[in-house]
Amino acid sequence: MKETVKLVAVLTIICLSAGALLAVVNGVTMAPIREAEKAEKTAAISRVLPRHDNRPDETVRRVVEQGIAWTFYVAASGGAYSGAAVESVSEKGYGGAISVMVGFNAGGEVQAVEILKQKETPGLGAKITEPFFKKVFSGKSIGGARWAVKKDGGDIDQITAATISSRAVVEAVGLACEVYTRHKQEISQTPEKLQAPDTENMK
Amino acid sequence: MRFMQELIKGLWRENPIFRLVLGMCPTLAVTTSVENSLGMGVAATFVLVCSNVVISMLRGFIPSKVRIPCFIVVIATFVTVVDLLMNAFAHELHRSLGLFIPLIVVNCIILARAEGFASKHPVLLSVADGIGMGLGFTLGLAVLGACREILGAGSITLWGAAGWKFDGFEPMILAVLAPGGFIALGCLLGLMNHLQNLLAARRGESFEPPPHLDCRHCVICKWGD
Repeated sequence: MKETVKLVAVLTIICLSAGALLAVVNGVTMAPIREAEKAEKTAAISRVLPRHDNRPDETVRRVVEQGIAWTFYVAASGGAYSGAAVESVSEKGYGGAISVMVGFNAGGEVQAVEILKQKETPGLGAKITEPFFKKVFSGKSIGGARWAVKKDGGDIDQITAATISSRAVVEAVGLACEVYTRHKQEISQTPEKLQAPDTENMK
Repeated sequence: MRFMQELIKGLWRENPIFRLVLGMCPTLAVTTSVENSLGMGVAATFVLVCSNVVISMLRGFIPSKVRIPCFIVVIATFVTVVDLLMNAFAHELHRSLGLFIPLIVVNCIILARAEGFASKHPVLLSVADGIGMGLGFTLGLAVLGACREILGAGSITLWGAAGWKFDGFEPMILAVLAPGGFIALGCLLGLMNHLQNLLAARRGESFEPPPHLDCRHCVICKWGD
């Protein structure tokens, strides 16, 4: 009995100390982690948009399409609409979901694409993050291209030996393109008319 | 000097990957590139040194009946600390290693050193053991990672800055895939055995692994004492 009490006491003390240490570290790192994640997203948004002089990450427009809420980050140059960026996800990657940021210019063509999250095979599917592949989407639009990889009769060059990963990215970008084209009118209203950024939902 | 002895043994004579053959799960998973190998090695070394220190300090306090749960709590705590710190201050590295960090909890090198060394030795020697084993682990990962990255990608890239290119052959994708990990590890283990045989032959002896590294004497299996 006495021994049992001691065992329980020792384990409890160790677990409590571990918990306290974790609480302290969590408190210290919480803000920098949020900053880093936000900076990462902001950088991706800036890279995929055409030239702009506003803060796209603070100029957001939301549309609902196919039961999904899409957040468009709107770019403006000299007060005029110059493009928008949106995050899109495909579940069909080889290693799970692939998340991409797609930027459009004012004409409705894809400006650039960035891969936000992917768990594809290193050396094969992970090549979707390389510039040569991201480049193939630039200048494509919903009417001007067949949104499928060449193997499936489309217009997009797939990566050799990584057709599944390529297909998933094409799906994500194509979907973003479709949603953008359908809602272009309300997204491209001049920035003055845009709502003030909804800081509560941006976190 | 005892401190140096404990430190150096992890590099070669008791190298955790090539001699103890512990921690194979993270070893095979992260060695697709040198960069990932170094990151994993440094993170594991940090956890190993911290857990060795704490467990060595608590060795009179922890009753042997609950020592395994105590060790696991201590190790898991340090892994979470590394995970949070890396996410906050080395975000890029965390992106490429994020998946593997929780694996350190179940990395048997760390539990084996806690059980087999730190719980029986004073703090200073446990620090030496932790650093030595950690460096040996890092070194082993880096060698394996270099072999696989050179063969599989034809180049070595470190954080986008430093890089070497190896021309004259077609990169073999197999090397960076899972089977390539097993093949490369097997070849390196064979090479290590061959080298030790050669070294022993030069001294006019035949090579015998130290008896306490024999599987039957492994500290993890001797739960009872």
